[in-house]
Amino acid sequence: MENLLRFDTGLMIWTWITFIAVLVILGTKAWKPMIKALENRENFIRESLEEAEAARKEAEKVAGEYEAMVAKARQEAQNIVAAGKETAERMKADILNEAKDKSAGILKQAEVQIGAEREKAIAQIRNQIVDISMAAAEKIIAKSLSREDNERLIEDALKDYGKN
Amino acid sequence: MAEPGHGTNSNIGDKIIEHVANSDVMIHLELFGVDISITKHVVMLWIAAGFLVAIALYATRRYRKEERPVPSGFTNAFEYVVDFVRTGILIPTMGKNHVLRWGPLVMSFFFLILTMNFLGLMPFFNYINHGHGGTTATGNINVTAALALITFMAIIVAGILEHGFFKHWKNLVPGGLAWPVYIILIPIEILSMFVRPFALTMRLAANMTAGHIAMLAIFAPIFLLHNAYVGVASVALNVGITFLEIIVSIVQAYVFTLLSSVFIGQSIHPHH
Repeated sequence: MENLLRFDTGLMIWTWITFIAVLVILGTKAWKPMIKALENRENFIRESLEEAEAARKEAEKVAGEYEAMVAKARQEAQNIVAAGKETAERMKADILNEAKDKSAGILKQAEVQIGAEREKAIAQIRNQIVDISMAAAEKIIAKSLSREDNERLIEDALKDYGKN
Repeated sequence: MAEPGHGTNSNIGDKIIEHVANSDVMIHLELFGVDISITKHVVMLWIAAGFLVAIALYATRRYRKEERPVPSGFTNAFEYVVDFVRTGILIPTMGKNHVLRWGPLVMSFFFLILTMNFLGLMPFFNYINHGHGGTTATGNINVTAALALITFMAIIVAGILEHGFFKHWKNLVPGGLAWPVYIILIPIEILSMFVRPFALTMRLAANMTAGHIAMLAIFAPIFLLHNAYVGVASVALNVGITFLEIIVSIVQAYVFTLLSSVFIGQSIHPHH
């Protein structure tokens, strides 16, 4: 068993030299670049996931806003239609009222005019009757009274007639 | 492998130990009176390190060029293991902020030990030095002791870098206790400081050697009994043991790395 535990300084020194050579070469050329790459990749993946999560939340937010906007627009459109309808109704009522007023005015004016025309016609008829009566009286009496007498006579007659 | 005919009833145990303990000198070197001979285990260490550096540089070639590489094929598999060390060992034991500083050390531990453990499973290392057997370099206590001493130093350096020189040593024991407690606690904490790397050393070396001893012990009856049926049974059993050893190789690399990382993490974040 002595052989197994034999102390060998040379081998220890060679182990140190070899190990340190491996440590220096691979430490700078392999392990550090690899550790850095792994850390970079980890960070990259984590950041990408976080970014994706943030983007998803942003998209959800935007979608929510969009939906709210659409709902608002729809509401506004409904309001506009309702307001339009109301305005139209009011305008219709106004027009109708105005037309009614106008027609009533026209009717009244017509009545007044008709009344005046009738008065005028009656006066005309009365004059014509005077003329006709005078002509007739002239013919009957065959003697011409003065026009003024005639007129006075007829007036009197008409007055009597009016009284009767 | 022990050659047929050499094994006898009396020396089979010695043969097994000789096989697993073998770290034959291939080139004798000496520096300032210290024997730094190139042994079989030094060569295995270099082969493991060279192989690891080659595949790691190949697998990570894109990571040196691109900002955010997308791995595929072998790179993907390699990255999976690196990420396993990062998220399974480094982050839980020392926290995300210290990964870049201590990650290279911990990953070098894991991959170098794993590579050596796997190479130890391949019998062709037997032929590096004209047979005579041999286990993996991680089965040699000197290799694991050297690695554990690096952990030992890293624990101290991590504490000092994080808390400053004096605060680090004060952190070894919890504060605010009655003074008689410290009489017991201070020696225990100092002892545990040395026990930790010692345990790392013994655990890895013993586990990596034990598998080889078990396989050799299962092969031994072939040479003791010279019986073909025993050979069939031994080979079948050893195929199973080999699969077990694959798991042990991974688990021991993981355990050494995890405990090193835990100790460094405790030094950075003293729990008291």
